[in-house]
Amino acid sequence: MSRLLKEERLGRKALLTRNLVPGKRVYNEDLLQRGGAEYRTWDPFRSKLAAAMIKGLPDSAVGEGAKVLYLGASTGTTVSHVSDLVGPGGLVVGVEFSPRVAREFIEKVARERGNVIPFVADARDPSKYSVAKFDVVYCDIAQPDQTEIALANCAALLKPGGTLLLVVKARSIDVLKDPERVFIEEEKKLRAGGFDVKSVTELSPFEKDHALIHAVMDSEG
Amino acid sequence: MSGEGIPENQDVEALRQKSIAAAEEAIRQASSRPDLHLVQAIQALDDTDKYLNITATRASEWYGLHFPELAQMVQDNVVLCKMISEIGGRGAYSLEALAGRGFTDKKVEAIMEAKERSKGGEISDGDITKVKSLASLAVQLSALRGGLNDYVEAQMKRVAPNVSEVAGATIGARLMAKAGGLDRLAVLPASTIQILGAEKALFRSLRTGARPPKHGILFQHQAVHAAPKWQRGKIARTLANKIAIAARVDYYRGSEDPTIKAGLDKRLEGIKERYKEPPQRRPEQRDRPRREGRPPRRDKFRRR
Repeated sequence: MSRLLKEERLGRKALLTRNLVPGKRVYNEDLLQRGGAEYRTWDPFRSKLAAAMIKGLPDSAVGEGAKVLYLGASTGTTVSHVSDLVGPGGLVVGVEFSPRVAREFIEKVARERGNVIPFVADARDPSKYSVAKFDVVYCDIAQPDQTEIALANCAALLKPGGTLLLVVKARSIDVLKDPERVFIEEEKKLRAGGFDVKSVTELSPFEKDHALIHAVMDSEG
Repeated sequence: MSGEGIPENQDVEALRQKSIAAAEEAIRQASSRPDLHLVQAIQALDDTDKYLNITATRASEWYGLHFPELAQMVQDNVVLCKMISEIGGRGAYSLEALAGRGFTDKKVEAIMEAKERSKGGEISDGDITKVKSLASLAVQLSALRGGLNDYVEAQMKRVAPNVSEVAGATIGARLMAKAGGLDRLAVLPASTIQILGAEKALFRSLRTGARPPKHGILFQHQAVHAAPKWQRGKIARTLANKIAIAARVDYYRGSEDPTIKAGLDKRLEGIKERYKEPPQRRPEQRDRPRREGRPPRRDKFRRR
């Protein structure tokens, strides 16, 4: 069965990911049995990737077996679901700068999951975690130059033809500018950086002033 | 398709264990930084202040039903709470009970007299017991507060002696808390330090073109709030400049440098001298609070 399920729950679209570590919860998500396997509910209000998938981002963006570089792991809520999605054959390298939240990320996610490797490091310095070349770079960091940071990481560690999932935090880039315009400008930066932008998904009503850009690195790059 | 640098499966587990160990060590290192403990201490101090206020106010309000005159005569809430918790109901007031509390004879007499003709109502044993425990909690909080205050001052002298000297221990610690540690404070520009704690006003100013804030946490500094209004912005700016320097010296050099404080005092002296008189108010300023010659920054695509 698929590692990601979409279904109606309580009259709403809901996502479930197949639990890599059956019986274990990461936060207080529900555990459900579907087709003989255990699944974890994936709350779009807590995870921007879930929000994007509900709003149309193709599931294939994070496929089974993928090697994912996750920048801005935070407490690891979303990382745990990415770890479910890529499964035992995949790999998630989670990078978090703040020791305070990294503590929870390591205890609840990295220690429990064999496909998660944690780094307490600055995403401005990819050499600190250059342990592999990745199929996917997921970037969710609150920095004004987040797009440049993501591009630098892709240049160093993303395979040609690999996927970039960039969470654009309009309010972190410029509090005054209209978010729509920030999205367009960041998208331009990606194109200039040799990316083919597949989609820009606004994340309302789950997140305010956020969008997720799905882009693919040109193969020649 | 194994590209360069992709570890084989067993290697992944070894790498993972190594990474977890390294990450945990990094967290351990970060968690033992004395400046982060200081940040917790100052926040505990500010929290305690709040609890103390709430608790003491409630105790004196409740007790006021029974003996309203006492709250009028004893202004200090903590002293009042100490009396409530130690003496109890109105009937228990005597010359002995009031002795050794630092009251003048006249005051003691007044309290005894107030007791006789009090407008307060009767209070049950159950009620007075509760009021007494509430008051005693306030007394304990006050002791905790004092201890935290001394601790913050002592630690600031060790961790950030120059910031402590220039800004004062508690204000320096609050700035550090806002910035997220001494390392972060040391890389902030002085202009940011000047308005730390006034974020709401700052963003309102950026959004609407209203006048920007002159000071945030720094308003608590005696040199700022005690100064005449028209000097405060200049003083806050100078103070922020010197704090920025002090934080850098503290973080990168770590030794005391008395010239920073001396330089600040000299600059403050200069401001007080030079801007002794309030500035002439331009008549049109009343109608248009916005500054002239600088139209508010507006984004063309701004929503709403």
